[in-house]
Amino acid sequence: MQASLFRVLFRHELISLYRNRVLITLFSILLVLLVGALWMGSSRLHQQQRTLGQIRAHRVAAQDSLKARIRRIEAHGMYYPGFIWDDPTYAYNTARNEGPQYAVKQPFVLQALATGQSAMQPFYYKVYITRKQALVHESEIDNSFLQFVDTFDFSFVVVYLLPLLIIVFTYNLLSSEKEQGTWVLLKTSNQSIARLLLGRLGIRYGLFTAAVWAVVVPVLTLLIGPSFLATTNWWWLVAFVAGYFAFWFALAFLVNSFSLSSNLNAMSLIFLWLLLGLLLPNLLQIGLNRVYPIPSRIALTKAEREATNRYFEKDGQLLTKEVFNSPRTLIRQASIVTPGMVYGYGIIVSKSQIIKDQATRVAENNLYGQVEKQQVAIGQLQWLSPALLLQEVLATLAGTHWHQFNRFSRDVDVFREHTQQFFYPKMALESTYRTFTVKDADAIPQFQSRAYATYSGQYLGRVLLLHVVGVLVLMVLGYRRLLHASR
Amino acid sequence: MIQLLLKKELTELLRTTKVTWLLVGLAALLGLALYNGYAYSTTRSQFLRESQHITYQQFISQGDKNPHLGAHFGFYAYKPTADLALVDNGLEDYTGNSFYLEPHQRGVVKFREVSDATGLRSFGFLNAGYFAQFILPLFIFLLTHNVFAKEWENGTIKMVLSTRVQARQLFTGKLLACGLVVGAVVATLALGALGLLLVQRGAAGLGPVLLTYGCYVVGLTMYAVLLTVLGVAVSLLARSSALALVVLAGFWLVGVFLVPRLAGELSRQVYPSITAVEFDDQTFREKEYGMGNEGTKDHRRALLEQRTLAKYHVKRLEDLPVFYIPITIEYFEETDGLVMDRAYAAVERNEARQNAFVLTSAVLSPFLAFRDFSLHLTATDINTHNDFAQQAEAHRRRVGRVVDAFYQKHTVASNDFWKTVPQFAYSAPGLGWRLHNAVAPLVILLVWLVAAGGMAVWAYRRLTA
Repeated sequence: MQASLFRVLFRHELISLYRNRVLITLFSILLVLLVGALWMGSSRLHQQQRTLGQIRAHRVAAQDSLKARIRRIEAHGMYYPGFIWDDPTYAYNTARNEGPQYAVKQPFVLQALATGQSAMQPFYYKVYITRKQALVHESEIDNSFLQFVDTFDFSFVVVYLLPLLIIVFTYNLLSSEKEQGTWVLLKTSNQSIARLLLGRLGIRYGLFTAAVWAVVVPVLTLLIGPSFLATTNWWWLVAFVAGYFAFWFALAFLVNSFSLSSNLNAMSLIFLWLLLGLLLPNLLQIGLNRVYPIPSRIALTKAEREATNRYFEKDGQLLTKEVFNSPRTLIRQASIVTPGMVYGYGIIVSKSQIIKDQATRVAENNLYGQVEKQQVAIGQLQWLSPALLLQEVLATLAGTHWHQFNRFSRDVDVFREHTQQFFYPKMALESTYRTFTVKDADAIPQFQSRAYATYSGQYLGRVLLLHVVGVLVLMVLGYRRLLHASR
Repeated sequence: MIQLLLKKELTELLRTTKVTWLLVGLAALLGLALYNGYAYSTTRSQFLRESQHITYQQFISQGDKNPHLGAHFGFYAYKPTADLALVDNGLEDYTGNSFYLEPHQRGVVKFREVSDATGLRSFGFLNAGYFAQFILPLFIFLLTHNVFAKEWENGTIKMVLSTRVQARQLFTGKLLACGLVVGAVVATLALGALGLLLVQRGAAGLGPVLLTYGCYVVGLTMYAVLLTVLGVAVSLLARSSALALVVLAGFWLVGVFLVPRLAGELSRQVYPSITAVEFDDQTFREKEYGMGNEGTKDHRRALLEQRTLAKYHVKRLEDLPVFYIPITIEYFEETDGLVMDRAYAAVERNEARQNAFVLTSAVLSPFLAFRDFSLHLTATDINTHNDFAQQAEAHRRRVGRVVDAFYQKHTVASNDFWKTVPQFAYSAPGLGWRLHNAVAPLVILLVWLVAAGGMAVWAYRRLTA
């Protein structure tokens, strides 16, 4: 396209967009919403960071208190004046009370853009020997109704709202010429209609994309600081969002090339938005749930309870009798908690937990295996819906994808095993059940957090390339149709 | 005349290729939505019923155990699938359904299905409720947006109005034609869901839910009427099909997606929730140090010991005619229970404030008002969930009392004793309670209906002016 023609078109587009008050109003509202979405996303991020700060402080206070109490008891000849179940020199008591350590997933800075699974999955666990989550709530306390309503973030604005604005931007690019009677004039110009339309669409795409980033970058910098600009995740994100916008512009170009009325263009584009943005992902969900049904977590508890009952029918029964009938433990008396009772419970809990863990591992692997299969299928079929594709990619880049939370969850499982290996020998041996020292307190395993917002660059590159090819195909198809139509 | 106009409009609508395609697509989606809802509720309700039975069987056949140890094995209270979950599963997957009945700690409902769902879940769950809340409005707008606008675009409006046809008749004819098509879709949806309810529950099981379902259908009809009137009014005012479509589709997008999400996020900002760590810290502190001036746990423990010794006129715990540990357990079950009740009540109060905030935004979105109405009527709302949690907690304490009473006299419990512990059963409250909860969204829907009617009258007056 000649530079002079481009200049003319650019001026024409600026003027016509400026004069379109409906469009300007809509665009301004959406930009305000975009700012709102960024603010809300960053609020969530800051909230999580604050919570993790509280956890750090809590952890330090608990550790200091534990050590101080142990020192006090040791200084008084191992005498503890309070309730025996609170005496920290018993390994089992410490394992239950101050022993559980936090495992945290540090939120990645781009989480402010895509909430992803972070609204549903726990980003910290208080890991106890018998439970992965020792806190009362499985994950952060959140209103189920609000979770059902879903989040309002940058990802939502980009995936759902901006395509509709693009539709308003583009649905009548060609049809309006026909409806206003300027089509014939265009046909008699020395430029092909295809090139003119492509040029106009390209200019609108450029203006639209530039306007979005011109708002997002400074606002986000203000809200979360400029560090995100130095991450490769950010630049991938920019490329994918630009690609997503390009898809909708290319689709509008193709629809325009059919030379239908403005009304039919708008209807077709809205229908395509509904199909690609809502219906296809929904149908995919139905299909995947049929092919890879995800078992309920209730199955996990069933397996655990069956194993416990089996255990208590034989070995557990003997062990319980041994512990509970032992004159040393005095549990039979059931009036005074004795040191032997703490020891006895320590043995029973550790032994039965080993059995429970073995039983639930199978059911748990089955559960996560099915979700994993669904995720693999989504990875293969996401090209069916650009909205789904972008949502998946944004979550990956923000560190809030299921894969990343699953990796964290698996790490926590391993950490729980380390914790068990640390406490079990101490609490279930007669020689060590009441020898928990300050040195032991310092040696309680700590969770080693790592970066979870990682991805395969090669995979993302392939997905982006496929996406770009798709956009080009739409544009070539539209261009050819227009060339044919203008002959 | 109106009959003639109605016939003409219907013929025109049904002969239009786009309407035919719309109806075919809609029928396919509706079939899928009904099937999906049916499969979900049938599989799930059977699974939960079986699980409730199995968990209890496991509990009552756990064999000889120390009563307290056996009580810790506990069992689960499962929230049964809502009777109308086939129509709308609402919050079912978001609230969790498993409540562990175990000593010492107030239960919390766990195992939210949505925690194990993929990112696809955020696109919604296609069932009759989803169809009615998301797809039906868009269909109505696609159907109605050009019902008047096309007359202006084709230049036929003046011609029509210059004949013997009165503007009122034209308006009524077009509105009725759209209403009939929409009515047919609503009737198919309502009858389809009713048929599946009959298959699922049998004739005897259908009776108890029929009235509730009837109320749901009335609400759905009101919702469809208001959207149809609104669509026709906008078409009449816009005088351009494309503009009417953009306005209506924009309204749909804003009302269905934007307003609820935005209001949800804002409600979180206005009424922030307590974090899980804070919750645990706070309840731990209150349990240990008391909520008022009742003293520390150790102090209360000492007082309890004194009281118990005095009650039985003995000087040592070993001389008590009953075992002392279960007395302690029961005492702290009650005092800790007060702490937990207060903490949970605070969480529920905050959630109620957040929900009220979101519901207030329904004045901007009839879609949200209908969604809320649907949740209450199908008993898949947060109120029903809280009711379940309260009943399950009451049952947990009941079980605790039974076990501790036994434990005061015995140190070993056999299956004969475990069988005396009552099973848990829950059924959601009836129609009166549901309608009471649904009053606010119903009023908002009515206001919207009146507003849509007013808008249609105004548009009609502009036509005749």
